[in-house]
Order: sequence, then C-alpha cells, then structure tokens
Amino acid sequence: MGVRLRKEPVLNSPVLIASWPGIGNIGVIAADALRKALEAEQLGEIEPWDFFYPKKILVRNGVLEGLEFPSNTFYFRKTEKVDLLFFIAEEQPTPVGGMYAEGKRAYQMANLVLDVALKFGCRRAYTSGAAVAPVHHTMKPRVWAVPNQSKLIDEVKGYPNTILMSDLEGRLGRGNITGLNGLLLGVARKRGLEAVCLMGEIPMYLQGLSVPYPKASHSVVEVLNAILGIDATSEDLVAAVERGEKRVEELYAKFSPEIREQLDKLRYVSYTRSTEPGPITEEDKRKILEELDKFFKGKED
Amino acid sequence: MLERQPYKLYMEPGLSDSCLIVGWAKDGGRIGSKLVEYLARELRGHCFAEIEPVDFFPLGGVTVEDDVAEFPEARFYCCRDSNLVLFHGDLPACEWHRYLDSILEVAQQYCNAREIYTVGGMFSLSPHTAPRQMFAIAGSPDMKQYLSRYGLAGDFDHDTPPGQRPTLSSFLLWEANRRGVAGAGLWTSVPFYLAAVEDPAACRKPLEFLNTRFKLGIDFSELDAEIARVNDLLARARSTDPQVDGYVQKLESNLALAEQELEALAAKIEDYFKRERL
Repeated sequence: MGVRLRKEPVLNSPVLIASWPGIGNIGVIAADALRKALEAEQLGEIEPWDFFYPKKILVRNGVLEGLEFPSNTFYFRKTEKVDLLFFIAEEQPTPVGGMYAEGKRAYQMANLVLDVALKFGCRRAYTSGAAVAPVHHTMKPRVWAVPNQSKLIDEVKGYPNTILMSDLEGRLGRGNITGLNGLLLGVARKRGLEAVCLMGEIPMYLQGLSVPYPKASHSVVEVLNAILGIDATSEDLVAAVERGEKRVEELYAKFSPEIREQLDKLRYVSYTRSTEPGPITEEDKRKILEELDKFFKGKED
Repeated sequence: MLERQPYKLYMEPGLSDSCLIVGWAKDGGRIGSKLVEYLARELRGHCFAEIEPVDFFPLGGVTVEDDVAEFPEARFYCCRDSNLVLFHGDLPACEWHRYLDSILEVAQQYCNAREIYTVGGMFSLSPHTAPRQMFAIAGSPDMKQYLSRYGLAGDFDHDTPPGQRPTLSSFLLWEANRRGVAGAGLWTSVPFYLAAVEDPAACRKPLEFLNTRFKLGIDFSELDAEIARVNDLLARARSTDPQVDGYVQKLESNLALAEQELEALAAKIEDYFKRERL
C-alpha cells in the first residue's frame, strides 16, 4: 500500500485541495475545474488496488493485459501567489453498494494523502463536498465552511458567500460531513494541519437524483479563488453550469404542478439564523419531502 | 500499519510446485462450487486452511437460501497425490485485494504454487441442448501459447462494458501475474436460464481440461449422472409447460427471445428446479 510519485518538485508551503466524489460531485468538479484552469501537472497517485475494486479489464488477443482502477491522482502547480497540491479521486473506497468511505481504508487513504501533502511542506488543506439544503436551484448556492481548528473561525467568516454551521437555524453549530471529504479534516487535525471543508449548497430535492450540480462547484471555486488570491475560472466549468441548469430545469418540469408549487416556496425561504421566518413551514418541508419521495419511487417503478 | 494474517492454517499441506484451482461460490451455473467439490472428492482433498470472514464480509446476520442459513466460506483443500490446491470461497463484500492476496499467499507460501486456474460461468443465449463452449483468458503470452496445446487459446479482445465491473477472477489473475504466477481464467458458457440454478454440463468442460492437463484420472460417471438428471428435469419442465418449451424451441432455432421472455424462462426454470429440490 503506497504512493507513487513521478516528480519531486520544490514547492513553497503549498496548499492542498483534495476531493472525493459525493452528492452532486460538487467537490470533485470544483477541484478538477481549478486543476484544469491552472494547468496543474500530474505528480503521482495512490496505488489503488488496496482501496478499490477494478473498473475495467483489458484483454488483448486473449491475454489479460491489465486492469484499470479508479484514479486517485496528485497534481501540483506553482503560481505567483501560492503553490498548490491537488488530490482528486474518482471514487471513495467503499464496500459493495456503499457511497462513502469509512473505517480502516478511509483512514489509511486520508493519511496517505496527508503524507504526500506534509512531505512537500503543506501548510493548509481544503476539501470540498455538498451541503444538502432547503434551497431552490435558481438561487446562487452558498458555501458552508467547516474548519478543523477553532482559531480558523474568524478567517472563515471573512470568506465570501460562506456560512458556518452556527449560522444555520437550529443547528447550534453542529453537523456532520460524511466520507473522506470530512474525514480528511479530522485526520489533518490529528496531525496538526489546518484544514477547511467547503461545501456547496445543493437543493434537497436533487440529492437523490445522482446528477452533478456544477452550479455549487462554481460557488466553491469562487471561494477558493478568493482565499488563494488567484483567478482561476474554467470555461469548462461555466459551460458545465449552463448544461447543469438546463438539465435541472428539465427534471424540475417533470415534477407535478403541486410539487413545483411547494418547491417554488424555497425561492423565498432562508434557513439561516439571522433572517426572518420564510413562507415555508416545517410541515411544508415534511410534505415536500414526502411528495418527492413518492414521486421518485414512482419513477423507479 | 501492521495487519494481522487473515487466514488460519490447520495443517501443513505437504505440496510443492503445485497448481491452484479457484472456484467461487454462487457463480453462474454454480460451476465453481461443483468443480471444487467434485475435485476434492475425487482426489481425496483435505481442508488445510481457511480465510476468516470477519475482514471481508459484513456479518450483520445471515442470509437464508433454500430455507437454510448461509455463512461465507473461504476454504483451501490440498490434494497431495495430484499436487493441486483447491480454493472455494464466497465473493467478499470489501477488502477484495487483501482477500485475493491471502489466497495467493497461502498457495505460494505453503504449497509453492506455480500456476493458477480460475473457473467460472458465462451467461449464454444458447439453449441447454447445445454443447457448452469454453474459452480462456491467459494471464500472459506464455500461458496463451501453453493453452494453445489444449485448443484453448483465443485471439479475442475484450474491454469491460460501461456500467459493469471486471470479475474477481480477473482481479485474481492480475494479482497472480504481478507475483509471477502463471495463470488463466477458464470461462464456460451457461444457458442463462440455468445460471441461477446449476449446470453440471458446463462444469464438465473445465474439469475435462484439468483432467487432461494434470493427468488426474477423474471418474466422470457421477457428474454425467447429474448432467442426465438436470437434462431430464429440463425435459419434464418443457413437457409440462408449453411456454418453456416454446422459448427453448426458439433458442434452438437460433431465434432471439424478447427481454420479457428471457426473464420469464429464467424464472420458470428456477421455480421448477426449486420445486423439484434439485
């Protein structure tokens, strides 16, 4: 079990941006868009076979030529303002049927990523994922930020379009971040590395649809640009946002008028602590979720 | 991070330069289970080691199959006279590579295994009245050349189709190759409607190859009796259910069945076999 590095670049206290797939693939899309916009170079990868089931067999002329595993790649980029390390994974190491990594393998993978980051003198790590929220898809997604040390809270409050868990109504600053995008924060804390998870909001009615939600990735990229003092906006991401919006509108049009009427209330609702109560009640929220559940179950049949 | 050994050794197998034969439980047509069971019985194999299930299966209870509680198995058998190691096991739910590593470690460390064959069934749209076809995926060009002596070398290309994953046998073969163990995957066609039940006729093909390859002197009479019993059962299913007969006749005439027909035939045969408690 190990890491294969192809290069040994000299990096100046780099910042790590790591992401694994999750709901809406928000984090992975954001990290990959930044990686592409900055034309980061491949650095190496984690040997995949202890973590993943292969995804493809290659047989040529009756001989097993090889197996292809989900990619887990490190990249690096030196910029004028900051040196960056990326780790982007195609899958989370999960048992059969699972979506999120947990337990021993997840812990090992988080440590391997941090081994590489610390080897290059990393000073800060960012992960990214999804924040499932009662928001409407026409709204600009905000970014929920969770640091792994309390001394980072003031800094995080200065990030644009960003909220903390304590800003959320009824949360009292509590919550959880499932899978490796969360676990890396904890392992980084254990190893004394500052880390923040940036989660782009995804409407609650899209979370079960297995569709990417690049609109939230775009919000995460904007926040990362501001934090890092760079301007790395990928045209691919902008195009993906447009395609994503079209797809979501098509799905939305398939909801019954009653469901759409309920969901449209989300345009005016705010669930953050500081705002006035909106037109949507807890009862409305429950009803919406029940109706959506019924709707999607019917679709599966 | 140190990991404890996930297997238990019950006795020294006493093999050298052996060959490992791997069959998986519950594969298509139950070929793997049938073949390992048959070889172990014919060659007086003894269980000498097993992989503990705790790291590889959820163990949150048991599944019930045909009224009986199941429990994951992963056992090694040594056949001293023929110098074969047999492995029969369930497909793990996680830690696939460590599971495969354990299989190869036992075979290499305690039996000095130099060669490996995996056996498995491949769904086919041919009827049960057609001969079963077997082909091999060689682990290396040398192995392919070797298999050509047995008429098993193929020149086909294959990439896993989108949405599917490779088989555990291919993963094992790949790992064996990395360890320098020559190997091949033996795949036999199983009529799709026998995949969920049992196809002893498909089991005969790899058994014939292994019998020739290792000069095992296997007595096929019991297997042939089972093949005859399954064929008899299928004949009765056809005679009692005109729909089953119609579907099989279509396959025999090389006509394609609609998706609903495929599902109906498979369900009817499974139901019939279960009722007859084969």
